[in-house]
Amino acid sequence: MTRIVRAELQRVLRRRTLLVTALGCLAFAVVSALTVFANAEPSAGGTTVVSRRGAPPLAALTGHGGGTEAFVIGASFIGFFVFVTFIAVLAGEFSGGTFRALLLRDPHRRRLIVGKLLGLLLVAAGAVALAEALTFVVSLAAAPGNDIATSQWFTLTSAGDALRDYATVFAGVTGWAVFGTTLAVVFRSTPLALGVGFAWAGPFENIVVDSWTTGYRVFPGQVLGSLIRGGTVELGLERAVLTAAVYAVVAAAVSLWLVSRRDVTA
Amino acid sequence: MTTTNAVSVTGLTKRYGDRTVVDHLDLELPAGVIAGFVGPNGAGKTTTMAMLLGLVRRSGGTGTVLGRPIDDPAAYLPRVGALIESPAFYPSLSGAENLRVFATVAGHDDVAGRIDTLLDIVGLTGRGDDRYRSYSLGMKQRLGIAAALLGEPDLLILDEPANGLDPQGVREMRALVGSLSARGRTVLVSSHDLSELEQVCDWLVLIDTGRSLYQGPTGALLGGVSDGLAVAPQHDGDRVRLHDVLVADGHDVTGRDGDNLVIDVSGSRVDDVAARVNRAAFDAGIVLVELSPLRTSLEDRYLALVNGGSR
Repeated sequence: MTRIVRAELQRVLRRRTLLVTALGCLAFAVVSALTVFANAEPSAGGTTVVSRRGAPPLAALTGHGGGTEAFVIGASFIGFFVFVTFIAVLAGEFSGGTFRALLLRDPHRRRLIVGKLLGLLLVAAGAVALAEALTFVVSLAAAPGNDIATSQWFTLTSAGDALRDYATVFAGVTGWAVFGTTLAVVFRSTPLALGVGFAWAGPFENIVVDSWTTGYRVFPGQVLGSLIRGGTVELGLERAVLTAAVYAVVAAAVSLWLVSRRDVTA
Repeated sequence: MTTTNAVSVTGLTKRYGDRTVVDHLDLELPAGVIAGFVGPNGAGKTTTMAMLLGLVRRSGGTGTVLGRPIDDPAAYLPRVGALIESPAFYPSLSGAENLRVFATVAGHDDVAGRIDTLLDIVGLTGRGDDRYRSYSLGMKQRLGIAAALLGEPDLLILDEPANGLDPQGVREMRALVGSLSARGRTVLVSSHDLSELEQVCDWLVLIDTGRSLYQGPTGALLGGVSDGLAVAPQHDGDRVRLHDVLVADGHDVTGRDGDNLVIDVSGSRVDDVAARVNRAAFDAGIVLVELSPLRTSLEDRYLALVNGGSR
């Protein structure tokens, strides 16, 4: 397993990839911070728990977790980006034949797919940490211009909040990664897997929840969205973690079963 | 050639629904041979190789590869190098970087330093740092063979390594494949280009529609078999007389091949017939400038087998 993870890191961690990732994180930080600050609303009753589609209350920005609030809200995009990236990378491994070629070097199929997933997740973990750090810095720079007080951003509590935000975002990202991997394994074709993934997580879920709010607690994409935001009005954090974990385990089981059973012909 | 078999499987079968792609194929490859795996497109070559490599599940069959059960590819694949279907690498990485990634996955970290040597062996000297996506088809095939050689395998399985190459590329690939059997390594190389294999293989496995037509030494298939004997007199004016002399001597003159008369030698040793023809011509005062067996090509033998001759 270790050598597959190392090989994956060897493949991905290249200067150009790192530069593009860093620039992407910076762009995310700027866009997230500016958008969140511009849309912040006075909160009713001082609550910091928001709806899946709600704008952040000002109280959330001036409180302990204010420095990473923009990161948490923007991280729904990170989740979807990770979903798309995992589909593209892993489905490409199947359709391009590299999965087959790697199996000739290590015939343990489940180990190979799990190793690749872990390798990519390690890269994602680094990118998420960088995105959080950069968003904090951009938020700090932008706060005075938006009349946001930052005095509470530098306390031990705020450090704990930042860690908790990282944990929930990365948990959500992991869920998206597992779902992306599953679609890649099922379809083994990048365009097909991307098409299904986009259609489901994009239009389908979001249109349905407009008229069926239970969808916020049921649909995988909505559940992961709530998890990434540390819990929402529609779905609390504990329930989001539990539901996401169940979905992820089922998706992983399907992926592993398919990978181990199917002929590798591409 | 040793007496042990690198590959020994019986009843190898693959079915997709009602369609049988490989049909109870028995395969014996002595260790150390360069074995040509011959058959037309769709004959089942790639599927057979994929089953040996654990990529495709068998519908039936048992056996061993490098002495280990075929049920357990993980036990023998570390000693097997393979290029199957088409070379598959990461387009954005260089050739050398791709080899490093594959070496890491295989646990061959120790061979990372040998990558330059491997690139030299396959004729990619100086191109290892170029991105894979910039490689020509021939270079991709060569890199595929370099990857197969990672870890010094005892058995090489190459699926149509010359596919899509130009004539120069085919010739170079043939020379490369011929050089890979060093140190007792067994090579199984498939192709539907029979002339390509005829020149490099000392063992042949012929299949069609998933069934074995022939397995054995190349010489046993082609040697001692001739379509006929080509005979030509020094002077054109003697051709009719030579024909009559040969017929009178009991030979079956079956036709013409350019300026030559062709004598059927079936049922006789070609050397004996040649001696009799030479003697009869000499007795008739005819000087021969051509007296040679018409060699049966692998293609001819293959087509004869496919058409039911020896199935």
